Amino acid sequence: MTAETGAVAADGSARRWPPRVVTAGLAVILLALLLIPAVTTPRFLTLDNARAILASAAFVGITSVGATMVMIAGSGVSLATSQIATVVAMFFLGTQHLGLGAALLIALAAGVALNAFQGAVIGYWKADPIVLTIAGGFAIGGAATWFSGGTTVYPGARGFEVLNATPLGLPLAVYVLLAVTVVVEWTLRRTTAGRQMYLVGENRAAARAAGLPVGRVTVLAWAVSGACVALTGVFLASFTTSATVTLGGTLTLDAIAAVLVGGTAISGGHGSAVRTLGGAVLISVISDVLLLRGYSTGVQILVKGVLVLTVVLVVHVRSGRGRR
Amino acid sequence: MFRTRSLAAATLGLTLLISACGGRPAAPSPSGGTSGTSLSGRTIALVGYGNGNPWGAYFNKVFTERLAPTGVKIGDMTTMDPGTQVQKFNQAVAQKPDLIVVSILDTTAMAVPIKKAGAAGVPVLVFDGPPDPSVADAVMSVLSDNEKLGEYAAQNIIEGLKAQGRDSGDIIVLTGTKSMLVTQHRMKGFNKVLATAPQYKVVDEQDANWDPQLSGTIAQQLLAKHGKDGVQAAYGMADYMALPIIQAAKQAGFTIGGKDGLIVTSSNCFKAGIDSIKAGELYGTATEDPGTIAEQTADYVVRYLTGKNPPRSETVQEERVTAANVGEFAEQCSHA
Repeated sequence: MTAETGAVAADGSARRWPPRVVTAGLAVILLALLLIPAVTTPRFLTLDNARAILASAAFVGITSVGATMVMIAGSGVSLATSQIATVVAMFFLGTQHLGLGAALLIALAAGVALNAFQGAVIGYWKADPIVLTIAGGFAIGGAATWFSGGTTVYPGARGFEVLNATPLGLPLAVYVLLAVTVVVEWTLRRTTAGRQMYLVGENRAAARAAGLPVGRVTVLAWAVSGACVALTGVFLASFTTSATVTLGGTLTLDAIAAVLVGGTAISGGHGSAVRTLGGAVLISVISDVLLLRGYSTGVQILVKGVLVLTVVLVVHVRSGRGRR
Repeated sequence: MFRTRSLAAATLGLTLLISACGGRPAAPSPSGGTSGTSLSGRTIALVGYGNGNPWGAYFNKVFTERLAPTGVKIGDMTTMDPGTQVQKFNQAVAQKPDLIVVSILDTTAMAVPIKKAGAAGVPVLVFDGPPDPSVADAVMSVLSDNEKLGEYAAQNIIEGLKAQGRDSGDIIVLTGTKSMLVTQHRMKGFNKVLATAPQYKVVDEQDANWDPQLSGTIAQQLLAKHGKDGVQAAYGMADYMALPIIQAAKQAGFTIGGKDGLIVTSSNCFKAGIDSIKAGELYGTATEDPGTIAEQTADYVVRYLTGKNPPRSETVQEERVTAANVGEFAEQCSHA
C-alpha cells in the first residue's frame, strides 16, 4: 500500500489523496456526467446548448477563479462577494458618462480596494475571514442601500453595450473567464507570490516562522479575487443594463460551490484555477441537463447542493483525515 | 494588540459618527389628499418591503412623504427577508400601534402572526400582494391587481405574434417566486387570456425567483433548448427579468421584436423597461408602479384613522403599457 492509494492505514486514518488522483477522479466524473446526458437528453449535444452552458458559467466562473486564490492562501471564503459585485456594478453604470475606459477602471479599482482591505485585515490582523466578511457584507450592502436610497442605478451612456458582444458566437465574458483562468493558474504555478500562497495556506504559522510575507501574500490573493469580482460585476451590469442592491443575488454561494466542486481544499494549500473552471462548468452542465429534462429551478438548486456536499465529503474530508 | 485595539476603536468611532449624523431629513411634503388632516399622536408600524428593493424603496419614500403632513408617527420595520418580517411583525403587534401596514413576503408564514394581531386587537392593512386566504377576512387591504397584470402580459404576446402574422407560437415564461400568491395570480390571468388564443402555447415555465441574474441564466438555457425556431415569445414577470431575457436572446443570435423577432413582455414597469419599449425591444409591460399604490395606501390609512370606514379591500387599477402609449406612463414608471 502506497501513499498514492488513499487507503485506510493501520491506525485507521486514510492517507491523503494526491492532487493528480483527485484531478483524475473529478475528470472521470465530469466525463461521465457529460457523456450520459449527451446520449440520453435531446438537444444536449448542440452548438447552441454548448454556448449556453459556457455563457451561464461565465459570471460565476470569473468570480470563483479569483476565489480559488483566496482559498488556496488559507483565507477560506469571502461572504461579501455578492455585495461587492453589486457595488462595483453600481459604480460601473453610474460612471458611464465618463466613458467606458474610465468606468471600467473605477469599477476595477473599487473591487480591488474593497477586497484588498478585507485581505489586509485578515493577513495583518489575523481576523477570522468568515466573521470579517459577514460584517463586511452587511457594511457594504448597507452603505450601498444608504447612498443609493434603494433606487436602481441606470447608465448615463450606453458604452457598456460593447461588453455584451459575442465574438465567434460566444459572449465576451466567456473569453474573459478563460483569460482570467490562465492568468490565475500561471500566477499560482509560476510566480513566487503564487507558490507562497500555497505555503501560507498549507501552514500559516510555519510560513510566518519561515519569514514569508504572510500579510502581503494574503492581501495579494484578496486583491486578485477583488479584480475578478469586479469583472463579474461589470459583466452583470452590462447584461442587466441596470443595477439594484440585490443584483449580486446568489453569487457568493455559487462561487464558493464552484471552487469546492473543483476540489480546492477549503483549509488552504491545495487547488487550482483550472479545476475551479471545471467545477463552474460542471455545475452549469448539470443545471442545463436538469433544465433540458424539464426539472424545476428548485431541483437544480437541490442537485447543486448535493453535488457540493458529495465533493466536500469525498475529497475534502478524506484528504483532511490524511493530514492528521 | 495595540493595532487590534486601534482598529476596534476606529470602527466604533466610525459607527458612532454615522449614528450621530442621524437619518435622512424628511423630504418636503408633497401636496395631496392627506394634507390638512391631523393624525398627531397616532402610530403606524410599516412592515413593508425593505429599501434594498427599488420598488420597496420608492413605495416607502412616497408613503412616508404622503403621511408626513398628518403628523402620524411611522415606525420603520421594513425588510426583504421573510423570516425577519415575521419577527418584526410580532414586535409591531407587541408595541400595539394604531395600525400595522404590511406587504407580505411569505403568505403562509405570515398567517399565524396576522391571527395574533387580530387576537391582540391590532388592525392590519395589507398592501400589494394578498394575504393567505385563511386570514383574508382578518385584514384590510390595498392590493395590486395581479391577475390583470398577467392578462396584460398575455395580451401583449398575442397582439405581438398576430402582428407578425404568426398562426402559431411557442412561449417561455420566467416567473417570480412560484410560492407567492402574486406570482400565482399573475399566471392565472396570463393563462386565462392565453387560452383564448390556443394557437400560442407555453412550452416552458421556470421559477426565476424575481432574480435578474437567474433570469438571464435560465433564459440562455431555455433559448438553447428550444432553438431559434422553437421560441417566438417570452414573458418575464418584471421588467428586470424581461431585460435579461432580451440580452440572452441577442447573445444567442435571436432577433428581438420587429416583423419576425422574439416578442418579449413583462408585467410590472421600471425605467429600464420603459426605455426598452421606446427602443423597440420590449413589446410591453404593465404598471403596478410603487408610487401609485403608495399614494392609495397612504390615502386609505388616513381614511381609516379618521374613522371614515373605507371598504375592507381596495384594488389598484393597473394599466397596460406598450409602444402605443408608453409616453403616457413613462413618468409614472420611471421611479424604480
